[in-house]
Amino acid sequence: MDKSHSDPILEIKEVSKAFPGVKALDRVSLEVFRGTIHGIVGENGAGKSTLMKILSGVYQKDSGEIFFDGNKIEDITPVQSMKMGLSIIYQELNLVNTMTVGENVFLGRFSEMGGRKEVHAKARVLLDSIGCKIDTEKEVSELSVSDKQMIEIAKALSFDSKLIIMDEPSSSLTADEMLELIKIIYDLKNKGISIIYISHKLDEIFDFCDVVTVMRDGHVIATRNIDVISRNEMISMMVGRTIENEYPPRPNYVGETVLEVENINTKLLKNVHFNLKKGEILGLVGLVGSGRTETVRAIFGADKVKNKSIQIDGKLVSINNPIDAIKHGIALVPEDRKIQGLLLQFSVDKNISLASLGELTHYGFINEKEERDISERQIKALNVKTPSGKTRIQLLSGGNQQKAILGRWLELKPKILVLDEPTKGIDVGAKYEIYLLMKKIVEDGGSIILISSELPEVLNMSNRVITICNGRITGEFDPLLASADEIMAKAFEF
Amino acid sequence: MDKKITTQSIIAFARNNLIILGIFVLAIITTFVEPNFLTVENLQNIMRQFGPLIMLSLGMTFIIMGGFIDLSVGGIISLVAVVTVSLIDSIGQVAALIVGIVIGLICGLLNSFLIIKGGAFKQSEALFLTYGMSVVFTAVALIYTGAAPVFLTYSKTDYSIFTAIGEGFVGPVSVSFIIFFVCLLILYIIESKTHIGRSICLTGGNMTAARLAGIPTEKTIVFIYAVSGIMAAIGAVVLASRVTIASPIMGKGYETQAILAVVVGGTALLGGKGSVLRTVIGTLLIIMMSNCLNLLGVTTYIQYMLRGAILILAIWLDNRKQYSEGN
Repeated sequence: MDKSHSDPILEIKEVSKAFPGVKALDRVSLEVFRGTIHGIVGENGAGKSTLMKILSGVYQKDSGEIFFDGNKIEDITPVQSMKMGLSIIYQELNLVNTMTVGENVFLGRFSEMGGRKEVHAKARVLLDSIGCKIDTEKEVSELSVSDKQMIEIAKALSFDSKLIIMDEPSSSLTADEMLELIKIIYDLKNKGISIIYISHKLDEIFDFCDVVTVMRDGHVIATRNIDVISRNEMISMMVGRTIENEYPPRPNYVGETVLEVENINTKLLKNVHFNLKKGEILGLVGLVGSGRTETVRAIFGADKVKNKSIQIDGKLVSINNPIDAIKHGIALVPEDRKIQGLLLQFSVDKNISLASLGELTHYGFINEKEERDISERQIKALNVKTPSGKTRIQLLSGGNQQKAILGRWLELKPKILVLDEPTKGIDVGAKYEIYLLMKKIVEDGGSIILISSELPEVLNMSNRVITICNGRITGEFDPLLASADEIMAKAFEF
Repeated sequence: MDKKITTQSIIAFARNNLIILGIFVLAIITTFVEPNFLTVENLQNIMRQFGPLIMLSLGMTFIIMGGFIDLSVGGIISLVAVVTVSLIDSIGQVAALIVGIVIGLICGLLNSFLIIKGGAFKQSEALFLTYGMSVVFTAVALIYTGAAPVFLTYSKTDYSIFTAIGEGFVGPVSVSFIIFFVCLLILYIIESKTHIGRSICLTGGNMTAARLAGIPTEKTIVFIYAVSGIMAAIGAVVLASRVTIASPIMGKGYETQAILAVVVGGTALLGGKGSVLRTVIGTLLIIMMSNCLNLLGVTTYIQYMLRGAILILAIWLDNRKQYSEGN
């Protein structure tokens, strides 16, 4: 510990990396000191992931120097970097679901450990050292996300890591699990291990990081000790301009009922019923797995649900698939952007025109000029940052991808827009733009159902909040009157 | 976008078109070693083999672009061929041809029905399912004929239209080429201009996202399998008309060749990208390769092995391309 704050474990000097058409990193320099927790923040596309992938050997840098633990590192492979003592825990954890906990910790190293049977005892020691009680014989598929993260940490320790990089570790953890993780992070720090902690959640950075580096557009903007930087400063460095508020003021015109949902029953959902008013943003609060996504999927016809009753503008409608839903003016921006929302290999144009394709078709033929017009109009209206409409959407940042998906639906002017985690993994600047857009949609007479794991977002954006737990609607609140604790209590009412 | 030709771009081009270049090199070698290669007869021979294969390859292109696969086309060819040939004497040639095409259509619809009802929306699931159907179709053909080949009897019946499909000419152009060209034109227009064509690409690109955005993905699946069935039936008719005999196992192996032609042409095996035009090139290359190897005296069995190797190579190159783009 005595060496800390003077002797860097990791030194990155003037590292650059370009991909076709993008300068992902531009002469980035960064020092991480021993035994510190070093936060890295930045919008999507700022270069955080690229930098981490260079460190772990997934990418090779174009120029610059990297020193780890006093040694210059050059052209390493991921395995070499782990053996040197540099581990990365990715957001999408790298575990083999069908193998046991012990086997995962020592994956690919059974012979070094003295056989497949021996790994359990050794994994036990490592897990105990971070206070984790999971049975090492258990199969990984049975574990929760937070338990899996523990396994990844044990795996990192098994390599005798000196530096552990955590990429958005909290994105799928509950509050309690997060506390566990923080405890372990402090533990690791006390053992002299350095941590690089990448996160979008500024609260976490302020809670336990010692130092923070802000990145933007492939540059390091600043590295500061956490006690000399304010939240607003950090945000303005990230987005390159000042943002007065994180949320726009809430619109408050609410009209008559547009949607009346009753009697949604599935394996998970039990008699789900609620209504939505014209011009309203309705927040749907619940835990992952509470049935919130299943509810909106049932309304949208994405899953087949029998005997449900859906009334739009007082008229009973039958919705058996997304095509029916779209016909009745319902739109859904799904939870998982990459898997359910985007066609990654396709152009921005084709991703935007997707939902309007029916309208663009005359006698079976697509009118390509109209298609380009639609895309151009939405790119302009939503300020989607893209080199051109022909660019593959995969190359855009998360925020711009999400705006393109919104544009896809707004072209249809839907009466009811369902947003399932619309700002997940999106940077602060783009989030604000999406909030403004939501406001505009309801002011123009649309209605929104908003699902989000970020309670502040729901509380600040919604006119009304309903809670769902274990497939049942458990409460209804006015977010101006109810406290966050009251609402969460209902979301946990099993 | 600057399109300057640099050494790097040439190397990249060579790498992306490795198989096509390889087959060209083979053709050049063959021309030198075996002067028979560039004779009119041999080129006609190549065109003859082109006929049946290109039909099912065109159908297979839509299937693969949609993210699926159809191993049943071999079985469909066998079934359609025996039924068509056997019916000519009793119901007349035009009616028999119509029955043949309708059987192909029904087989395709049956495939898509089973895929949708069975929830076999992954390519691997469709692979096993259509393999199973191939066995079924072949078995039906075997039962129908009692496992014996069916011949044209050359009785009083008129075979002129039927034989013209495989052997006839209109001026200098063969009838089978005209059939091919009309099919290509129709499929190309569908692929590039129509809603259903776009839906095929979108379904192959990301079926979940396409469905949630209101693309009729199930209809698309029905469409591509129906097209594949019809194209296999046309292929069967061209083949049977040329050899004037139909055996209940004559379609065996055609499905591999069709997949090979599509993938060598450059349609992504995972779906979402591709074109029937590319498949024309792919099919030509596959047939030219086998022709060259024949002329060079390479035995059929070694040729089978080479075809397998090329399919593996094509998949490997395709995946590598996807992987590097994926980052």
